[in-house]
Amino acid sequence: MKKKTIIKIDYSLCGDGVKENVDPRECCKCLRICKPAIFLLHQTLGAKEDNPLDPECWRVTPLWASLCTLCMECVKACPANAIQITQK
Amino acid sequence: MCELCMKHGAGGKWYLNAKHYSDEVVEKYGLYDFLLEQYKNFEQMSVRKVSGFSPVGMDYRMRMPIIGRIIKNMAGNMLNKQRFPKDPFKPESHIGQIVPMEDAIAIIEECAAEPIIEKNCMCRYMSRGEKEACCINFGVMSEVISQLPRFVPEKDKFHLTRKEAVERFKAHNRKGYIGTIWFGPFPYINNLCSCESPECAGIRPRVDFGIMSVHKAEYVIGLEKNRCDDCGACIIKCPFNAIEKDPYSRKIKIDLDKCFGCGVCRHVCPNDALFLLPRDIVPEVAGKY
Repeated sequence: MKKKTIIKIDYSLCGDGVKENVDPRECCKCLRICKPAIFLLHQTLGAKEDNPLDPECWRVTPLWASLCTLCMECVKACPANAIQITQK
Repeated sequence: MCELCMKHGAGGKWYLNAKHYSDEVVEKYGLYDFLLEQYKNFEQMSVRKVSGFSPVGMDYRMRMPIIGRIIKNMAGNMLNKQRFPKDPFKPESHIGQIVPMEDAIAIIEECAAEPIIEKNCMCRYMSRGEKEACCINFGVMSEVISQLPRFVPEKDKFHLTRKEAVERFKAHNRKGYIGTIWFGPFPYINNLCSCESPECAGIRPRVDFGIMSVHKAEYVIGLEKNRCDDCGACIIKCPFNAIEKDPYSRKIKIDLDKCFGCGVCRHVCPNDALFLLPRDIVPEVAGKY
């Protein structure tokens, strides 16, 4: 069977888990560098409509992992080294 | 295609039926509140659970032989539903079709409800983090978008006249962006998008996974062989990889099954050899949306 690509983003380094309010919307390096555009920038599910502009409400999710070409550009591009790509 | 599209509108095109753009529809379904609720958390829609299933990691399941087919069918049915959705948090009844430049201009000039605005494309924002104003919206969307600063382009003025809207669309189309018209939600039409593959969240499921998230255009591309000098400019431009060079004769060949009829390739042809044919008169692809 074909191997599955598993992309993990450490949310303690990027997005809503960071205490100093690092805004994933400002960075977006992984989103821009990914050729098949597998990442998705979105509000976290818990965050309700109250303030859609709060930086703590935003995170990046690898939504279409099966389209990953394993070029590893996002891993290199991430300034916080938050992305890990493995195959299973 | 569906009953709705065959029955209504000029020439059997659902998007040329002015009824779908009217303010009556807005009032009947209370669309201002519905759309405001939906667009406030629009980016969440792609990760929110739908009937108990999380879309994250769903792409591997969609590649399974039988389960995949069931999931794709269910997703297609949900998007294609022809009734007004109850839940603004589901992408229900949000189906679209690809439109070439001529039809898009007809929509803007004849059907679209005032006021016409341009807004930052959500798909591009979600998948690239970029803000590019390439969606044209009609009617009640102007009020909804003015409440949500992240969709408002960084210009003072995001209201367009019909003429400006046509010019904007033409510019996008020449750049290679695919024109699409969307129910948002059924039966109200308010989005005329210009997007690219793979960024577009509507085209991606269709191209990569075969979910009926967007219908092919009412046209397919035709090639006038006498004019074509096989330069290959259209091969690079085609967003759906429908044009290729025959390995033996080195001539340009069009795969009609792959052609979505967006007509983007015409803009790069130096000899005007490409033209649009109505889908119905081409027997191989007639009725195959």
